[in-house]
Amino acid sequence: MLELRSLTKKFGETIAVSDLNIICAEREFLVIFGPAGAGKTTTLRMIAGVLQPTSGDINFRGRSLKGVPPEHRNMSMVFEYYALYSHLSVFENLAFPLRARRFPDDEIEKLVKRMADILQISELLDRRPGFLSGGQRQRVALGRTLVRDADVYLLDEPISHLDAKLRHRMRGELKAICAEKEATVIHVTHDSREAMALSDRIAVINKGKLMQIGPPDEIFYRPGNEFVAGFVGEPPMSFVDVEYTEEEGQPTFHITGDDTQLPASLEVGAYLNEKGQPDSLRLGVRATEVSAMPAKDETHNVPGEVYVTETLGHRNILTAKLGNKLVQVVTPPEFAFKVKDIVWLDLSPANVYVFSDGLTIAYPRHQDS
Amino acid sequence: MSSVALEKVWKKYGDVEAVRGISMDIADGEFMSFLGPSGCGKSSTMRMIAGLEEITSGNIYFDGELITNVKPRDRNVAMAFETYALYPTLNVYENLAFPLRAAKWSAADVDSRVREIATILEMTDLLDRKPANLSSGQQQLAGLGRALARKPRVFLLDEPISHLDTRQRGRMRAYIKRLHMELGYTMIYVTHDQEEAMALADRIAVMNEGMISQIGTPQEIFQNPADLFVAGFIGEPPMNLLDCEYHPALGRHVLSYNGITIQMPSHSEALVQQGAIPQRVTLGIRPFYIDIGLETSVRHTIPAEVFVVEPLGDMTVVSVNVLETRLQVAAAPDFRAQPKQTLWLAFDPAHTLLFDAETGHALTNQA
Repeated sequence: MLELRSLTKKFGETIAVSDLNIICAEREFLVIFGPAGAGKTTTLRMIAGVLQPTSGDINFRGRSLKGVPPEHRNMSMVFEYYALYSHLSVFENLAFPLRARRFPDDEIEKLVKRMADILQISELLDRRPGFLSGGQRQRVALGRTLVRDADVYLLDEPISHLDAKLRHRMRGELKAICAEKEATVIHVTHDSREAMALSDRIAVINKGKLMQIGPPDEIFYRPGNEFVAGFVGEPPMSFVDVEYTEEEGQPTFHITGDDTQLPASLEVGAYLNEKGQPDSLRLGVRATEVSAMPAKDETHNVPGEVYVTETLGHRNILTAKLGNKLVQVVTPPEFAFKVKDIVWLDLSPANVYVFSDGLTIAYPRHQDS
Repeated sequence: MSSVALEKVWKKYGDVEAVRGISMDIADGEFMSFLGPSGCGKSSTMRMIAGLEEITSGNIYFDGELITNVKPRDRNVAMAFETYALYPTLNVYENLAFPLRAAKWSAADVDSRVREIATILEMTDLLDRKPANLSSGQQQLAGLGRALARKPRVFLLDEPISHLDTRQRGRMRAYIKRLHMELGYTMIYVTHDQEEAMALADRIAVMNEGMISQIGTPQEIFQNPADLFVAGFIGEPPMNLLDCEYHPALGRHVLSYNGITIQMPSHSEALVQQGAIPQRVTLGIRPFYIDIGLETSVRHTIPAEVFVVEPLGDMTVVSVNVLETRLQVAAAPDFRAQPKQTLWLAFDPAHTLLFDAETGHALTNQA
């Protein structure tokens, strides 16, 4: 078990990591997920021991790692800017951690070739790093990290520089290798699908702080705040500014910059009546959780103006203007919406998230089942 | 704006043939995407249109006028690259106006153009701001607006948003598409990202090894890829491909994948009647058209072993091994399974495609 206790790192006045408390279980695949500058890499480097915390501690299997140098931590790390040995071939780069541990030659050969095969770099084994593309180098670095056994694997954006096709393929391979090794992995990424696909749990961090930690389903379906909701999922959640009133006793939202009204749930009404009008009140609309129709009907009763539509083959993405915001909705390929058409969206309380001053106060109802 | 025509255009760098005899017509006002992996010749082709690379042989025309030997600055093309650095001392209005003033537009024309662009990009209330007072997303948008403010004959964009994160990329994509629709530009958009090409383009030219594999609308290319390269390149997750054998003696409407029987595509009837199906064929099926059963059934007849399960929120991608072939299935968001578990697959014959395994060419066409 790896435990981050009030882990904090300051660079001068800048707080890179702020009071982080995270526990990673043995054999867990934990993803640290956040935007650029969130403190993800800094956290990983402190776990590896190449950076010292300003305060707080890291415990591993019940022992503090304070003062334990990186080489005694038995952690295997791939850096986003992978340092390969430029004078060694790809084969020798992959073999390096095994030679250092005095593996016999035939065992090295077997392990290196298997890893190269999985990462689709077998034909590059004789080359020097200088003759590789960025994506190829990244795979060599990942291979060198995974080829040996370690207590913890620390992976910093290990597949982010690959082009889309290869990245998705490698994502599956990485998950399978780690499952087979029963490895404990801490994986840093800014890619929502990568975080969802790989992890047992996701720790979402922003500006050095932990925003939420939980299994991918929980992060996706029950985001605790607007930041998490907007950062996980693709296409990303759209937000619509609203004001809250009661119309003839019915809790109601008004879309800001528009004269459209839509019903709010009784629970949301009760919450807002007690709290008073928040500074920021927004609806969250996930493109896959609402639908759009060309004609108004009982549930599709919020009008929007088509801003643009995009064809993706098996589905389309419709972007519609709602008040002062753009909202994205996934539509079936057979729907042909034209720019500036009016479309009707189903934004009943059962389909949307509600955020009051950044905190989630209501989730779509289908998730209760 | 102009139409663009390429006629047997070649580009050689020494012995390397980067572009091998490409011909195509791009209509006035069309959004054309050059799509392909790195090294396919897409950027070289675009640079020849811009005049930044010499053409080894062949011709390029704008509106029927031969421009092969016209200097780049006299072609009146505009190129947008990845960087959108704004002038920090100028407000958004002046940033947008800058390329227009440089092109000696009248003050009235500059003003109406800047307001037009700002309206499309929904930035009219930001015109007075300096870049430092914009969010990074707004800076991106202002930079895009500036890049597209001029009215050249042809706009060339080379991977203009590939450095952005997914969120910003999705937004910029919508704005680029709307700008194109409102302004009627002839646009050539180079990318390696098939989703970007699909989302944006009127037509896509899929390129591979210096040649065009297929040219068509996104829907045409998605539904009926011309060959195995296009089939594997378009779509995410990509189309699954299974090398099968056809033995009419064992059944005229079935294929065999190493002994596993698979139904023929439902639109292959004419080919079956003509006896025009070769013995070695590749069956293609997109991950969205495979149904998973936990038990075998009349429909679920293809045994598969789970390799890895990737829940993505809007779907779960299940990678499975069917004998030696790895397939990907797009399952419901809440689908879960364990590695090594056996599942039973059903292919929807209305959505399978046949390719000649020898040549890689498509044999069938979906309606």
